[in-house]
Amino acid sequence: MARKMLRDGETEAYDYDLFVIGAGSGGVRASRTSAGFGAKVAICELPFHPISSETIGGVGGTCVIRGCVPKKILVYGSAFRGEFEDARNFGWELSEDINFNWKKLLNNKTQEIQRLNGIYKRLLTNAGVTMIEGEGKLAGPHEVEVTQPDGSVQKYTAKHILIATGSRAQRVKIPGEELAITSDEALSLEELPKRAVILGGGYIAVEFASIWRGMGATVDLFYRKELPLRGFDDEMRAVVAKNLEGRGIELHPQSTLTELSKTDEGIKVVTDHGDVLVADVVLFATGRAPNTKRLNLAAAGVETDKTGAIKVDEYSCTNIPSIWAVGDVTNRMNLTPVALMEGTCFSKTVFGGEPTKPDYKDIPCAVFSIPPLSVVGLSEQQALEQATSDILVFTSSFTPMKNTISGRQEKTVMKLVVDSATDRVIGASMCGPDAPEIMQGIGVAMKCGATKKQFDSTVGIHPSAAEEFVTMRSVTRRLTVGSKI
Amino acid sequence: MATSLGAPRLSLSPKTLQALRRTLPLSFSKSLHSKPLLRPSISHSPILLRLPRRRRLSSRPSASAGNNSAAASSGGDNYDFDLFTIGAGSGGVRASRFAANFGASVAVCELPFATISSDSTGGVGGTCVLRGCVPKKLMVYASKFSHEFEESHGFGWSYETDPKHDWGTLIANKNAELQRLTGIYKNILKNAGVTLIEGRGKIIDPHTVSVDGKLYSARHILIAVGGRPNMPNIPGIEHAIDSDAALDLSVRPDKIAIVGGGYIAVEFAGIFNGLMSEVHVFIRQKKVLRGFDEEIRDFVGEQMSLRGIEFHTEESPQAITKSEDGSLSLKTNKGTVSGFSHIMFATGRRPNTKNLGLEDVGVKLTNNGAIMVDEYSRTSVESIWAVGDVTDRINLTPVALMEGGAFAKTVFANEPTKPDHREVPSAVFSQPPIGQVGLTEEQAIEEYGDVDVYTANFRPLKATVSGLPDRIYMKLLVCANSGKVLGVHMCGDDSPEIIQGVAIAVKAGLTKAQFDSTVGIHPTAAEELVTMRTPTRKIRRNSSSDEVSLFKRTYLLFLILTCWANVLIYILTQEKVKDAVKSTT
Repeated sequence: MARKMLRDGETEAYDYDLFVIGAGSGGVRASRTSAGFGAKVAICELPFHPISSETIGGVGGTCVIRGCVPKKILVYGSAFRGEFEDARNFGWELSEDINFNWKKLLNNKTQEIQRLNGIYKRLLTNAGVTMIEGEGKLAGPHEVEVTQPDGSVQKYTAKHILIATGSRAQRVKIPGEELAITSDEALSLEELPKRAVILGGGYIAVEFASIWRGMGATVDLFYRKELPLRGFDDEMRAVVAKNLEGRGIELHPQSTLTELSKTDEGIKVVTDHGDVLVADVVLFATGRAPNTKRLNLAAAGVETDKTGAIKVDEYSCTNIPSIWAVGDVTNRMNLTPVALMEGTCFSKTVFGGEPTKPDYKDIPCAVFSIPPLSVVGLSEQQALEQATSDILVFTSSFTPMKNTISGRQEKTVMKLVVDSATDRVIGASMCGPDAPEIMQGIGVAMKCGATKKQFDSTVGIHPSAAEEFVTMRSVTRRLTVGSKI
Repeated sequence: MATSLGAPRLSLSPKTLQALRRTLPLSFSKSLHSKPLLRPSISHSPILLRLPRRRRLSSRPSASAGNNSAAASSGGDNYDFDLFTIGAGSGGVRASRFAANFGASVAVCELPFATISSDSTGGVGGTCVLRGCVPKKLMVYASKFSHEFEESHGFGWSYETDPKHDWGTLIANKNAELQRLTGIYKNILKNAGVTLIEGRGKIIDPHTVSVDGKLYSARHILIAVGGRPNMPNIPGIEHAIDSDAALDLSVRPDKIAIVGGGYIAVEFAGIFNGLMSEVHVFIRQKKVLRGFDEEIRDFVGEQMSLRGIEFHTEESPQAITKSEDGSLSLKTNKGTVSGFSHIMFATGRRPNTKNLGLEDVGVKLTNNGAIMVDEYSRTSVESIWAVGDVTDRINLTPVALMEGGAFAKTVFANEPTKPDHREVPSAVFSQPPIGQVGLTEEQAIEEYGDVDVYTANFRPLKATVSGLPDRIYMKLLVCANSGKVLGVHMCGDDSPEIIQGVAIAVKAGLTKAQFDSTVGIHPTAAEELVTMRTPTRKIRRNSSSDEVSLFKRTYLLFLILTCWANVLIYILTQEKVKDAVKSTT
């Protein structure tokens, strides 16, 4: 159907039906699904390298090369230390000198990422998408200019242009900032740091804190707020902070770094409280900015917001009808599965004859700290802000069964937020082992409006941690509309 | 003793409750004898409405107005208790607590604590806490570490010497935890105001229980005595151990034979394999886990084999012999395997209904010795009820909890409640574990005919770096007509944890489209469940298209029927011919 429509249309005048700039999660998904609808698609991406810059990137994008995947591999690697500790009370005798070979992990990680990079390329080839290596820029509402690695410039015309160039880690402007690294470099360090200083309280900061601590480094984590992970449920933020501390990470709330300088012992770090530390590595995990600077958006008149993100409507269309944007470059909800959703919706809208808006409601997400945090729906604070009727909060804090033997002093905490008028579960969060795996199913239930009663009518799986979600019988607290926590 | 037993409960109840008992008309207590459905609701009683709101009511939310009918009833008759529960396992404890919370005076009897159950030993907490789920899972945790040590190599970890396991430490720590838990359960009962009596309960008449000779009368009796492992009567069976003993061995088995293919067998195979015993599993069938989805059965068998467990399929045990050096041999229909330090039988469990006095009082049993109950867990005797494994419905702790809770609501909260046995999720803590909810593919096809099957079989991220052959298998069964998800099955790391949330969705009757509209959590294994876009196969009852018109369907049915009728007629005539032939010869 789509093929016919395109054939009859004005597509003959353009080189492609769709030209995509950026082959990350959103770009690849949009290209593949559009090609599936019969569109003629080309995609351009920078040459592959683990650390991104203006001129290097790689098919697969942030998620595969510099984000979710390598991060999770490092989390797996670092989580073993806790396992070794836990094993002892279960009767395991481990030699005192357990060795960790960072180079080996790094090597295995890079191999896996190269494998995935290859898989993504194959996905595109098999879908019939033309791949072009180089830096893509707008040359007009229907024209893209690609600067290839050899410096040659090629122009392509397309009926639609999709910008999916993602984002990049930002640095803080302080003296000596060039001594610090971002998450890109942190995933590919030559040497494992013995002393790490991390600036930032977001998920990237706490994940790297857990990773380096698990690998044996001392970690000092600096953040502006009282608790890390702003935007998450306050109670869960406190649980994460407690767990990070319990695993030996030094927390420095309400503080920041003011100056970095190079010394013989390492990087000298000065804080706004006047403290001085020496570190092997200083990580800036202070947010990410959309990759829009070198796109030449002005050539087509594409508008951006204050943060430099491309402005789009509900269908991911920019102010120029032939130019669209998905993923982190639009700074809506910067998660891989959201970029995938936006990419699919774009294809359906433009090439599937089925206008589809991405749905941002009840999107589950996870922070892979050790132990991890995972949430879906509203936090207690958000629920109260939006409430039109009383909010019921159910919480459960318990010692996971494994810890009853291991002796680890760490509790698993779960929370359900329920709208008292409709009985609908409008928020769920969990901090503890397997939280991200557990929350996926909870996310399915919530997505279609499951009520607390339906949660309760589900029989538990025993013994699991997840069964607590269906056995929360009594209300922990009731929040009346208009009250403050 | 027995006559003053009401006192502790009263002391726990606030003064207002006592006052309430006195004010409520006696007729409500009489109504307790009638069928639960017919019991009048007193929640609209003007007396209750006039009651001042005290803190008590809010601090015990379960003791809502209607619940006091039971409390009221205890004043006007001669029973020692409103409820006497035999057996303080999952179902018994839950039912007793809830009943007490609803205002009933409750006693529960249980045998003295021991890790191995018998006719005279048991312990508060029951099978789940002392000889089942809990110690089993602790052993699974312990055994899983060896796999993690292996995984860790790919992530850069190495050890000067390979980790060793000290069996004694594990068993001591496990037993300390069990002691703690049995203590907790006792406290739970105590705090709920339930009288705990140690000893063996036996039913004397529809309202009397004897505990080691002492008699107690009760308006209702609840039997929650559970089940026990069952071993076949073959020569040398005295040398074999059951799961009770397997959870409490004093030494690590060097080489163990596990007879059976059910969940207990595969769980113990994983435990002993992980704790570095040589493990042989003997199963009667071609595959483990009869009743589970066929592909899950294949998958888990393969994965377990890859981890070093040896399966002996289609072998039935015939005899056990002990040699002079103390080692054991297992003779099967196919031959004899020798050199076992232990032979474990995981060949099913049986309800503990012997010597309970059930036959004398007229409580009917099924052929397997389980107590027959109606949908409300009531036995053939009106005042006697039964929940949990002793009724052999679905033998899982959370189901016993549900049955116990429903029983208490029905009898003491004026809220007749049937336990809902549909879409009960369950797990097998094999290594890798299984989680499932709803129908298997075979059941789904039988029930719905037209089924779309979505499957995924992939190498999880962790395995790509560890280099181990671990995989994950997932299956989603969808009704082709309604789009409803009928069953979800998964085998691989974290399956039990993953399936719990999915079970809420399945229980709520969600469709595949709703699954697909859920955004994934990346990177997890669970996200695969919401990203299965194309069916692996579409099963259709008849090969014609989905949209067969009603007329066509009726016509088809007619054809099938006539076809069958023809066959039937043919057979009958053949029989007649045969008979005729016989009679003539």
